[in-house]
Amino acid sequence: MSKEEESSVYHVQDEVSLLRASLGGEVEAWGEIVSRYKEAILGLCVGFLRNHPDAEDISHDTFIRAYENLHRYHMEKRFSTWIFTIASNLCRNRLRYRRRHPIVPLPVQMEGGCSPAITIAQEDRQAQIRQGLSRLPYRYRAPITLRYYNDLSYHQIARILSLPEGTIKTHIHRGKARLRQEIGKMEVVNHA
Amino acid sequence: MHKDDLEKLLGDTLQQEVSEERHYLDGLEKKIVAELTGRLPRKGWLHALTRLFAQMQSSHRRQLAVIGITAVIFLFLGIFVSERLPLFRGLFSAYDEQHTTTITANSDGGQLLFVMPAPGAQTVAVVGSFNNWKPILLTDEDEDGIWLTNLSLTPGRYEYAFVVDGRWWGQDPLADEYVRSFGGYNSVRYVGHTGDNI
Repeated sequence: MSKEEESSVYHVQDEVSLLRASLGGEVEAWGEIVSRYKEAILGLCVGFLRNHPDAEDISHDTFIRAYENLHRYHMEKRFSTWIFTIASNLCRNRLRYRRRHPIVPLPVQMEGGCSPAITIAQEDRQAQIRQGLSRLPYRYRAPITLRYYNDLSYHQIARILSLPEGTIKTHIHRGKARLRQEIGKMEVVNHA
Repeated sequence: MHKDDLEKLLGDTLQQEVSEERHYLDGLEKKIVAELTGRLPRKGWLHALTRLFAQMQSSHRRQLAVIGITAVIFLFLGIFVSERLPLFRGLFSAYDEQHTTTITANSDGGQLLFVMPAPGAQTVAVVGSFNNWKPILLTDEDEDGIWLTNLSLTPGRYEYAFVVDGRWWGQDPLADEYVRSFGGYNSVRYVGHTGDNI
């Protein structure tokens, strides 16, 4: 069977059989898992870390680490929660490392020029959100990313971040309030 | 800003940031597959044990680990000794005979036919322990909804399941027995004279 045929076969397989094949050493099956989860994992890393090179690094490491530890995964549990937990732990470790080895953040790039006014306003808003997210403490940023990018329930977020569900709800609520405050400040500065 | 606007904007912003990384995402699976393929074989249990001990900081956990490992060593030692003592050997062999005779072969070895009725299915594959759970496609040449494949297998016990349009189908009516695995079922077939020769 050629490589293309092999990957097309894996494309129609369900998650459990892909994981079973991966456990048996079929790296092509793991490749299919990577293609199904790569966007979700990268989004999580971007949201948690607010640094694209680090997010790329950690996304890659997540898939390698998950493959190496696949024998520890219990198939009756949700795979997404397990792999998100790995990504979340790796992000936390990277943030600890960054506290000791900080990098100078690049200014947020604003594109526009000839775009219609609505698009510019939208991009402006998104730039404010990006800056606001970068200023949010990690404890607020992490659950907000999992909730609004990864579309996870409070229960799943609580399991991934190893925190009580009530704490997650409070952190998301406070994070959004802080974000609104930050955006408000930016708007005042822009108008002044 | 309205509450729902903020939530939507948060989702859109992160979505936008990920789509800016399209160049990275496009080749990620190939890169990871290449990296994993080129790796050395996994290190053995001794290496894992050494790492486990190295990571243990608290003496309490270390004590527990030592007790556990000692228990395992004694268990293996017990089995080893019991097999060499005539009294126990007789006991075990009687047990083995009683249980192995219940397993009978239903195939002569060599060719084994896998049949799956699935009218309207797009793809049907069989996955199993005979080739490390790698899918083998079944064919339905006369388009009557009965999918077939014939495999050459050496004598032994094989766990397998069908995958019909991506869904796991673990209970083949032609199987000798079923086993529960990872919250679902797998079928088992014995090939050869007796099923216990693997």
